[in-house]
Formats: sequence, C-alpha cells, structure tokens
Amino acid sequence: MKYDVVIIGGGLSGLVAGITLQKAGKRTAIISTGQNALHFFSGTFESLQEPSQRIKDLFLEAGVRVHYNPGVRLTPMGTFKEAALSLEDIDLFPSEKIGKRVLIVNFQGYHDFFSSFLAEGLEKQGMQCRVRFLNLPELERLQQSPSEMRSVQIARTVDPLWEKVVQEVRLLLKDEDTVILPQVFGLADTSVPGRIRQGIPARVVFAGTLPPSVPGVRTQILLRKRYQLLGGTYLMGDEVVRAHVHEGVVHSVATKNLDSHYVEASEAFILSTGSYFSKGLVANPFRVYEPVFGLDVEYKEDRNAWYNPSFAGDQPYMHFGVKASADLLALKDGEPLQNLYVAGSVLGDTHPEFGSAAGQAIQSALFVADKILGL
Amino acid sequence: MKPNEFDVIIIGGGITGAGTQRDCAMRGLRTLLIERSDIATGATGRNHGLLHSGARYAVNDSESAEECIRENMILRRIAAHCIDETDGLFITLPEDDLGYQQTFVDACRKAGISAEIIDPDLARRLEPSVNPSLIGAVKVPDGSVDPFRLCAANMLDAKLRGGQVRLQTEVTGFIKEGDTVVGVHTRSRLTGEEADYYAPVTVNACGIWGQHMAEMAGVKVNMFPAKGALLIFAHRVNNVVINRCRKPSNADILVPGDTVCIIGTTSTRIPFEECDNVAVTPDEVDLLITEGAKLAPSLSETRILRAYAGVRPLVSADDDPSGRNISRGIVCLDHEVRDGLKGFITITGGKLMTYRLMAEIATDLVCKKLGVDKACETAETPLPGSEEKSYEAVAQKIWEAPTTAQKAAASRMGTRAARIRTGNKRDDALICECEEVSVGEINAAIDRLEVSTLTDLRRRTRVGMGTCQGEFCACRAAGLLAKAHGCVERERRDLEDFLQERWKGNFPIGWGDTLREAEYTQWVYKHVLGL
Repeated sequence: MKYDVVIIGGGLSGLVAGITLQKAGKRTAIISTGQNALHFFSGTFESLQEPSQRIKDLFLEAGVRVHYNPGVRLTPMGTFKEAALSLEDIDLFPSEKIGKRVLIVNFQGYHDFFSSFLAEGLEKQGMQCRVRFLNLPELERLQQSPSEMRSVQIARTVDPLWEKVVQEVRLLLKDEDTVILPQVFGLADTSVPGRIRQGIPARVVFAGTLPPSVPGVRTQILLRKRYQLLGGTYLMGDEVVRAHVHEGVVHSVATKNLDSHYVEASEAFILSTGSYFSKGLVANPFRVYEPVFGLDVEYKEDRNAWYNPSFAGDQPYMHFGVKASADLLALKDGEPLQNLYVAGSVLGDTHPEFGSAAGQAIQSALFVADKILGL
Repeated sequence: MKPNEFDVIIIGGGITGAGTQRDCAMRGLRTLLIERSDIATGATGRNHGLLHSGARYAVNDSESAEECIRENMILRRIAAHCIDETDGLFITLPEDDLGYQQTFVDACRKAGISAEIIDPDLARRLEPSVNPSLIGAVKVPDGSVDPFRLCAANMLDAKLRGGQVRLQTEVTGFIKEGDTVVGVHTRSRLTGEEADYYAPVTVNACGIWGQHMAEMAGVKVNMFPAKGALLIFAHRVNNVVINRCRKPSNADILVPGDTVCIIGTTSTRIPFEECDNVAVTPDEVDLLITEGAKLAPSLSETRILRAYAGVRPLVSADDDPSGRNISRGIVCLDHEVRDGLKGFITITGGKLMTYRLMAEIATDLVCKKLGVDKACETAETPLPGSEEKSYEAVAQKIWEAPTTAQKAAASRMGTRAARIRTGNKRDDALICECEEVSVGEINAAIDRLEVSTLTDLRRRTRVGMGTCQGEFCACRAAGLLAKAHGCVERERRDLEDFLQERWKGNFPIGWGDTLREAEYTQWVYKHVLGL
C-alpha cells in the first residue's frame, strides 16, 4: 500500500495533520492503536491562546465547535483552572463566581461524577449549593451490571432522553440560577448539550467526570469522521511493528494487522505516537526509548532523576521526548531522517515553542503538515 | 469504673497489639488499644505475608522453626479467611549445593515440619512458573497470610468483646504514681483533642518504635532497625511459595497473595530516624528483580506494581550494647523485674507468624499482674470471619449463586461477608474494578472497621491495591468516605495523601506499564480533575 504521507498515531496531532494534508490533496493513511489522550481530554486546550482562523475552521468543518473565551474552567473536583480555548459545551468563566445558587444534579448510582466535591468547592467560593439525584429507568437497566455506570455507557443511553432530563431537572429546580450536570451528553448527537441548555431556565454548566471523557471521545470521533470524509485511510486498532529505513530515509513500515504488506509513503512519514501512555515513548529500567524507529530521545541517564518523589510535583520524566531538528525532522544517531517528522506529545518538552499538551499537539501538527506541503 | 479506666492499655495497632488486645479481651479484661496511625502500618503490613512453615529457620534457629510450625497449624484453624494454603517449595538451582538439601530436610523433620523431597519434574508440574533448571525440590507446608485482614479481625474480635480502639491517637506521655505507670496522656491526630486513660497495666507493643515508647516511660530497650525491601508483581505468577534451598539470603522467597505475588527481601541496618519513612533504593530493586527471576524466570517480564520496605523489630540482648547478639525470637520484658518500673510491659521481637504466641505470653504476664486466672483460648477460637474453612463455601452459603464480586468479598471477609448489603444495584456497584470491591463492602468496612482515610480503607478491602493503583477507585471511594464522615474538605486532603502514598511505591519501579499508568494518573488528577 502506497500513500503520499503515512501518519503513525491517530490522536489529536495525527488527526490534525491528516485532515490538513488531505484537504491539500495528499493521499494519507493514519495507523492508530485506538487509544489516545483525547479519551481523557479536559475539553480545554491548554497553552493555546487566541487560535488562528485556520484552527477555528479546521475544527468547525469537522463539527467540533470551540470557543475562545479566556477565563477559568470548573474542574470535576470543584476547583478552577485557567484556560482560553475550549469545546463549546465546556464553559469558561470570567471568575470563580459562576452563580449565586447552584443546583448540582447527578444520576443515582453514578460514582464517577463528584457532586459532593463540586458542592464543597463552590461553597468555598461563597455559593449556595444543593445536590440532587436523577433516577432514570433507562439507567437502572445499565446498573444490572455492576461496572456499567461509566461515562460513555451513560452517554450512549441519555442522548435520546434529553427531553426527559430537562423535565426532571426543571422539577428539581427551585430558585437556583445555575445547574451543574455531568459531561455525559452529546456523544452521538452533538446538538444535545445546546438543547438541554435551552430547555432549562437557568445557566447550565457541564462538569467533567472520570475518564473516558465524553467530550474528548466525541472530538476524536468527529475529527476521525472528517478525516475519512476527506478520503483519508484510518487504520484503526493497528500498530507499527517494524520500519524499513535506509540511508537516512524511511521507506516503509510494517503493521501488526498488515504483516506482509508494507505501508509506503512517497513523501513523508509523521510520528505522532504520543507519550508513555500511548507507547510513543517506552521506559525500561535502563533508558527511555522510541520503539518504532529507535530515534534519539532526550532524557536523563540516572533513573533517580526521572521522578519527583512528590506526586503533585513537576515530573521530569514527562518532559522527556524524541529529539527533532528545528523543522521537526526526527533525529537518529544525531542526524535528521530526511522524511520523518515528529508531532504531538512524543516530542515531550524538546520544542517548547509549540506549547504543551493539546496546544502542542495542534500546533506541531500544523507546522509539520506545512513543511510537507512546502509552505 | 470510669469510662477512661481500663484493666489494660495496649499501645500499638500492629498484629502484636491487636492480638494482645484480643487475648486480653477473651480473658475478660477491659481493654483499650491506642495506635498513632492505622492498624498494620509498621512491620505487620510490610513483609511478604508468608505463612512460614518454619522451614526457613530449621537449620539455624530450631526454636523459631518449632514456633512457626506450631503457629502455622493454629492459624490455619483460627484465621482461615486470612490464609491461603498454597504449600511451599524449597528449590535447589544448579549453582546451589544439593548436599544442603538433606541437612535442611533433617532439620525440618526435627522441628516437626513435614518436608518431602520431590522430583524436580513433579516440582515443575506443581508450580509451572518455577525455574525449570532446578535440580532439587522439597515440599513444605508454607502458605500466605493477609496481615491487614488478620490484624483487622483481631481488633474486631476485641471490639466485639467490649474492647475499645483509638486509632490516629498518639501517646504523648505516661502518667506515673511513684514507680508505677498508671496511665497515658494521648492526643488525637485527627482532632487534636487530648485525653488521659488509666489502667494498672500498660503493654508496649510498638514494634521498632517500642524503643521510643520505653524511653518515654523511662526505661531502655535496645532495638535494631533492619530494613527489608520487597516488590509486588501485578500478577499471581506462582501458586506455590518458592524459596531457595540454601542458607537464608537476599530475595529468596516468592509468595503468592490474592491477585499478586511478592519477592523479598533484603536486610540493611538503618538509622533509627529513618524508621518512619523507609525508602527503597534502585540497588535494592535491581537485586530483587535479578534474584527473583532465578526463582521464577517469568518475573523478569512481569509488570511490577510497587516497591515497599518494612523495618524488622529486632532486639539486642540486654548485656550486649554492641548489638552483635541480636535475637530474632520473642522478647517479653517485665519492666518491674527488669527496671523496677511497675505496670509496664514490652512485647517485641518475634514475627508476624508468632504474633498469637507473643500475645499469649504478654497476656499471661498481664493476667499475672492483675491476679486474673483464666487460660488462653486464642489457639482454639476462630477469629470473626473464620468460622468456615473455605471462602467458596462461605459465598455459597450466603448467596446460593454468588457472583465473582461476592466470592471476592467472601475471600476477604470470610463469614463476615454476610453483613455486606448486597443484592441490589446500588450496593453491588463496583468501586474498585481491579479487585472487585462493591459499594456494599466499602460501607461495611466503614461501619465496622474504623476507617478514617482511603489508605485505611485500602488495608481493609484491597481498594486501590490492584493494577490501576487507585487511579479511579480512589475518587469513587473518596465520595463514599466524604458522605460517611460528612466532611468533603478532609476527604480532598485524604485523596491527595492516598495518591502520594501510591506514588511513593510506584516511582522506585517507574518504568514500563507502571510508568504508563502513573503518567495517566498524574495527568488525569492534575490536569483533568484539578486536584
């Protein structure tokens, strides 16, 4: 199989690069193991300031509505974090005072939404909170199995029931000006969060749950669909097992599912395999390495220096990443490979000019796509 | 008697203290147990969880070996729900002296330990994970024991017999009348509240911290802190305990326990100041992995879940200040006879395996001082939860067609599992999916087993002990604790402490899947959840 560009890794950076290249007329393929950091996405793009029109368009065309509104996000634990750009159903507030009287509504038997922590956090900011539980018969069925009350399963159930949710919340609502609901809406039908907001005569805030993040999974699905609609080939549930590199040029890669068929790219490869969790970086007791190409990795030799003994402290290992040239060409044995670009969190902190996390994923992906397009 | 007056005060919530409280309560005494943090936080919960057959000590220390095998047989009777009767192998590898095997077997038999030389082929069949290059094997009645469960069951039995327990309570001083200890000053670490308690006898059962407690009372006990490091693997690689058939050395015991297995240990003298915060070094980790793989080669490919270390409460003989003459046996000091201080006893040394015997010795002395004449019954009376032998039978009896989660609960709580609210969706919802712990089981622990923090809950239910190391279940359980205690702010700090405690055991082995999991947890808590 031959493409113009082959992208290894189907998370945010792989998809952004893929969409950009497809739009510019390239034939591309994305090889994805299936799990990526979007599955635990907070819904806000850290380290991304006022986004360019290009980024806004890219999301909008995929049906991912984002808004730029610098302020603070309400976290699932009832604290606040600064952010500038977020998905449309994730509110950013000018201050921690998000209302005067707040009604927090959870589903009965759902332990992954922390209503008591939210209430305590908001009361600390001087708000009055009331916590109530909704009992939907449709969710009772989900509870037949003791581990089914999780975000995505609930999301699959509640989207069609949004009118009922609105009715029930209206019955619970007294004099509150703000209602907080778990972020489990709009997985299949992206209009649902907006409809719920319209139906409830108070400000509706969707607060996060334990992963998987429903807004994150939705974003991943929409971007993937957009990519496929543009003609991109998304090889889901597959991973690269071998790479064929000769004299500084990557010729092809072999994947687990397509064992004997090498995937070739005539123009370039992009490595966007994520960090440790997605196995873009692998640590063993002796070193940190990049498993596909054996690229140069920036890390500390002394294992003791990888960690901060404080859980909450900054962790050095999180800054490690694949070394790349200023053009984001991957380095191997100190020399850039001529057609292998690197994007996203596999870079670690080696190129701080691209920001971190979701911001880095987007900006490094666009940068790499532009390089391939000769822009 | 006033509410703050007791027959005996026991300081220390390890297995020795809990066992002593149970024994005292069974002899009809009014007991109070005081523990500065939680049950089983010292050496009790920081070892292999090996139900020693005594074989390890047979050659060099026949007294310990005999004590072990006697207690081994007793614990099988009285603590069935804390014990896994796995049996053990002592294997000889090509680099070991096969001649040692006969010496070993003879010594075992002399101590009353059944030790059967078996064919290496049979050993490979009994335990498929064992190093296939073994040239000799001896089968002994080793097993595994859950020290948290054992400790909780002793404490619970004491409570059911009228005993009182003050956890998270520190002894700040002794109340003396002349040359007699008559009580203790205490301060709650949760509320800061101070209280005095009185009893004619106080038992110092603080393990390695007993030296400090004795000092506070005005007497001297020389302890020798010896650190032992261990690793927990994420799978139960072996079903039979594997030991090396040679003189006891580093990292030569692999014990299966619940869903995991544990390799250990090392032995390093440490300064006293480090006892409260022992750390595992990279050298220790490397040694444990290398030596462990000699017992079961697949360990080198198995994910490591945690590294941890405990401090053995070794005591040096009174006439030997140099500490060269260290006893690994049980030490019971009557400070009235030894130092002229009345009303004060120290019980220390010994092992997890011999806790019941230690408790019996200490209680005999307490009873002698109080003029109580009642025989010890702890060797015959099952602990609460252990009235039935097999957890499958227990689960069957309670639920007829038990689910896997109910079976897991029965294996943790024994017959006490009957008290778990279950059979409805809300109570059956799983909080911890790795270890299958339900809302009902957690609430049962909160109701009966003195839980104030998530870490306490982990010791009693295994919440957060599985492969995710508390990533998700910690938050869920925190919600239940916040509700039970009616204080969310405290729970927020508790959750932070819990995650810090998990990380402490993760980073010394922070690579491979352990680092993946840790990265995920750190990312989710910091960036998504906003803790």
